[in-house]
Amino acid sequence: MLNYAKTQNLLIIGAAGGLAQITIGLLSKHYPHIHLVGVDSRSMDHLPKKPEVTFIQMSYTRGNFEKIFRDYSFDAVFHLGRLSHTKENDKYTLTQRLDLNVMGTSRILDLSLKFKVQKIITLSTYHVYGALADNPVFINEDAPLRASIKYPELRDVTEMDQVATSWMWKHQGEIETLVMRPCNIIGPQINNSITRYLRSRYAPVPIDYNPMFQFIHEFDMARVLIQSMESVPTGIYNIAPSESISLRKARELIGAPALPMPISLLSPAAKLFKYVWAYPDYLLDYVRFSCLISSSSLGKYLGNDLYRFKTREALELLKLK
Amino acid sequence: MKYLKSLSFQTAPEGGFQRVFDELSQVYAKEDPWGLNLAHAERTLRTVYPLYKNYFKVRLFGQEHVEDRPYIVTGNHTGQIAIDGMLISTAFAAEIKPARILRAMVERFFVSLPFVGAWAAEGGAVLGDRQNCLHLLKQKQSVLVFPEGVKGIAKNTSDHYKLQPFTRGFFRISLASGVPILPVVVIGAEEFFPFVYHPMKLAKMMGLPALPLSLNYLPLPSPVDIHILPAFIPPQELTPESPDKQIDESIEILEKMMEEQIAKGLEMRRPFLLNHRS
Repeated sequence: MLNYAKTQNLLIIGAAGGLAQITIGLLSKHYPHIHLVGVDSRSMDHLPKKPEVTFIQMSYTRGNFEKIFRDYSFDAVFHLGRLSHTKENDKYTLTQRLDLNVMGTSRILDLSLKFKVQKIITLSTYHVYGALADNPVFINEDAPLRASIKYPELRDVTEMDQVATSWMWKHQGEIETLVMRPCNIIGPQINNSITRYLRSRYAPVPIDYNPMFQFIHEFDMARVLIQSMESVPTGIYNIAPSESISLRKARELIGAPALPMPISLLSPAAKLFKYVWAYPDYLLDYVRFSCLISSSSLGKYLGNDLYRFKTREALELLKLK
Repeated sequence: MKYLKSLSFQTAPEGGFQRVFDELSQVYAKEDPWGLNLAHAERTLRTVYPLYKNYFKVRLFGQEHVEDRPYIVTGNHTGQIAIDGMLISTAFAAEIKPARILRAMVERFFVSLPFVGAWAAEGGAVLGDRQNCLHLLKQKQSVLVFPEGVKGIAKNTSDHYKLQPFTRGFFRISLASGVPILPVVVIGAEEFFPFVYHPMKLAKMMGLPALPLSLNYLPLPSPVDIHILPAFIPPQELTPESPDKQIDESIEILEKMMEEQIAKGLEMRRPFLLNHRS
């Protein structure tokens, strides 16, 4: 297990993202002796400068990415750089997303092994299980990854996860690896599809379906990642509170006006309103069928009293922005 | 006299709905991961109960066999749509103390239907999956299963009240969870749709589990009797991993119990017309 007290250098990939920013903030507050290196292909000029944090703007598929590993000799890596399916990332085709998410992840893992990193955490998502009518409540980590059965656009999500997990088992004797599959991460600093959907004014809300959702506040998610680095052994872990809430109730708590309509009209509507409502049509099944996960495996190591924010509090905080 | 008494319109169970809702709100969480919405379940019960009592004139026998504990409530499937399930659920919510919401295990096809799936989930229905069932039983909730499956309701008129072979899943779940099976027999529901033909090949082509062709599509006011039998506890020598042959032997005993009750129930049922409620 990694010990923060003895850790010198830590790499955070995807450092410009909201979750990475909170993770960096918490790490630098609690472990100021650790030198944090944040890498992202996006600009990080706007981020607050701290002596213990170095930001490097670079794509991790680039040739000189290896130089960073050589220069800093990292003890651990947080790979939070998954290219998500937000409106900003619309410009990326499936092939490009596959390249960045799958090939990029593979590269990060191989470099971590080559440069003797002790532990790596890879952030995946609960989307890998797929939103299907026959999903059980709750889904365990050993369930098949069915996200891309219906929507090939989600191939990058499942393949990235599979690359990380098969690599993890192959090298389990050499490096500790965690693959984390969190439920919907929400918060004022997060800009993922579900947060945008929940916040959007007049977003279409299905009247013919009302799936249950699990939400984790961004701050709780960052805390789980940090604690897992020290306390959780190699493996795949779902991350979700035991609470769940229906989609309609969640929208109601946030207080955003809704456009009630049948789901059968949602897909054409999503295309029609794509400029005002950024929610990919291939994610529509996630607002149709529940995909609830069990995080009992993680609970064995971190306890079940992990989360500071109740689901309702986390949703109400979205109102503030 | 009984007939005259039965003409009075009964809109609430004994002790009123408040007693029922107070009991339910103590047991069921406000946010249930399977989508049960207590407020919706209460509204449904208020709507269905007058039909249960005055249209289907349900008589309930065997309440004394129900204890305050979880059960795998196992019914014979009759009628063309799951009205029998709705009536059993109403009986367990309104007439049996303490009140409980039976979590009906339903087909995947059903949960994927727009409006219907969400409506059923808010009323307590759950996808019929082993993991779901075990989770619910662990939470001390009772589930409602129809082990005949779609075959139970997709019967032609000539097969009315003939029990179809049970599947084994519910029995293995009883063995895995230690929760007893509570057999329930419904008499009267086959007459909701008395003349039915099921073109199964056509249903298959259309991707439907059943396609009942009937003379009427609104259920006729057939009087219904619900018989609750004593709890069936699977033999101790069986385990959830026992071979099918051993499981089948026990299931046959259960089926025989239910068939005997169906025969008795048919003898004591009320006439279709000019019947009384109790």
